[in-house]
Amino acid sequence: MHVNSWREIKQEGLGRTGIVFIILVVAMGILAPLLTSYQPSGYAGPVFSPPSPRHWLGTNDVGQDIWTHLLYGARTSLAVGCGVGLLSTMLSIVAGGTAALCGGLYDRILMRLVDALIIIPPVIVVILAAAYLRPNTMLLVVLLSALLWPGGARVVRAQTLSLQEKMSVSAARTFGASRRHLLFRHIVPDLGPVLVAIAIQDIRRAVFMEAGLSFLGVSDPSLISWGKMMQQALQFIYLDAWKWWLLPTGLSLAVTVSGFTFVGFALETSLNPRLRREVKHAAS
Amino acid sequence: MKKTGLVANYMIALLVILAVNFILPRLMPGNPLQAIYGDEALLAMTPQLQEELVRRFALDRPLAEQLVSYLGTLCRGDLGYSYFYNAPVAGVILDFLPWTLLLTGLALLLSTLFGLFLGIESGYRRGRMLDKVLLGGNMLLGGLPDFFVGILLLLFFGVFLSLAPLAGAMEPYAGHSGLALALDVLRHLALPLAALVIARMTGAYLLTRNTMVATLGSAYILTARAKGCTDSSIRYRHAGRNSLLPAVTATGVQFANLVTGALFIEIVFSYPGMGSLLYKSLLTRDYPLLEGILLLVALSVLLVNFLVDLLYAKLDPRVNYAR
Repeated sequence: MHVNSWREIKQEGLGRTGIVFIILVVAMGILAPLLTSYQPSGYAGPVFSPPSPRHWLGTNDVGQDIWTHLLYGARTSLAVGCGVGLLSTMLSIVAGGTAALCGGLYDRILMRLVDALIIIPPVIVVILAAAYLRPNTMLLVVLLSALLWPGGARVVRAQTLSLQEKMSVSAARTFGASRRHLLFRHIVPDLGPVLVAIAIQDIRRAVFMEAGLSFLGVSDPSLISWGKMMQQALQFIYLDAWKWWLLPTGLSLAVTVSGFTFVGFALETSLNPRLRREVKHAAS
Repeated sequence: MKKTGLVANYMIALLVILAVNFILPRLMPGNPLQAIYGDEALLAMTPQLQEELVRRFALDRPLAEQLVSYLGTLCRGDLGYSYFYNAPVAGVILDFLPWTLLLTGLALLLSTLFGLFLGIESGYRRGRMLDKVLLGGNMLLGGLPDFFVGILLLLFFGVFLSLAPLAGAMEPYAGHSGLALALDVLRHLALPLAALVIARMTGAYLLTRNTMVATLGSAYILTARAKGCTDSSIRYRHAGRNSLLPAVTATGVQFANLVTGALFIEIVFSYPGMGSLLYKSLLTRDYPLLEGILLLVALSVLLVNFLVDLLYAKLDPRVNYAR
């Protein structure tokens, strides 16, 4: 893959916007304790107070500071997103890479499983599992990763199949390199941008699904999450509170998800030769 | 893909879903009836009802026998008993299903049509102003969670402008009939439908746009241009037609997204379909109802995907020759 993806993402308007969005949300999450003087679970002031210098976004129905919740909610979203991005991509590499390298019956069984799992709508299964298990962040990451790895595994397998034809891989093989060595030393480094694309896709879907689950009220009750804030705010839609409770929360979620969507799209465009800029078409 | 392989995939997917449905409640600590029905339900039940349920689902038997009886009851269309509605789950679901069918069916049709149309126009004008606006707009809207699109529409049209009703599928006790009834239903449907179409159009749009861009580079487009075909003829009859296929085949995936999107959007608009029912079952911890809804949704997604896969082979003869 001789594409400098990073440079291409930065050059394209959408990709650049996406990176700015992501940096913004990451800053919110990391700097949360510096940007607010309240504790997310503590009582901060009278209930339903409108925005003021003391409470930038007012307070909610039990008198907690909404701005503080917004900041700590970023942490939950990012933690789940990055956790799933890492774990699920790892699973994809191991499953897809070993399937391509080993081949044979193992490959056929694994890919049949992937083909079957891809059809199952993940949201449905995760709602059911979450309703019973009421997962905390860790368990949620495991659950979502277990549902999201097949898509990436397929891509990794296809790429590995073509990469293992390279001379360097054959050379390593004749020197007696083990399959693990081949996979992690020769194949994975070459997969770079593809893996980033897979991880970004997984992160986006995980953030999306975490918000959805907590919007349904099936995540760990002690977790501060944008989805749950929206669920609570929606119950008070007849009050004016939606202006500083519902909208900023939804916008934060939208910014996060769009950030990853934009970067993912820019990356995909740079990886797909048929969509690349240089190609001149009859229409242009 | 060969037909047997296709069927095998769907069989495995079906088995996985059934296994999750069967195992999850039985994994929970405590007695199975308690895990399946929840504490509150157990308190409300008479001992006779408890015994009846234990017997019907063979909960006092080993796991293997439970599995057989579970599959047996499923085959008979018995999804269990909803303690909250005090009625069989299947019956409760049937009451709510039509609204979801109406919403999802229309949304599938409209989002595919809009996605195709905009994708063709946008791909043809690649890199120009309209393409950039459409692409950016679609990426932005498609990136939003469905329920947030719903909330935005609800806030703007329902709360801010007071144009549309805030909840429900029709005016209660209004006694409308004929045309008035249809208009009333449409008035309540408009916002949820718009939200779903806006949130879910991106898939078809992006696919069509990308195929369009690739198709426009092929030789027969140049030929058509050289022959002196008009712009619109090239756009729709040559390139557009050949860009249909990916969008059609993506309908299966699209359907899965639409159904799950509909579940969330119904909650926002309190639209009396499966989504609202699901939400209520979560709030009241009515687990049999929850399982029934999710099983039905998952099965319908599998079925639609299967039909689309079969159709795909018919539409594109190349698929059969591959392998």
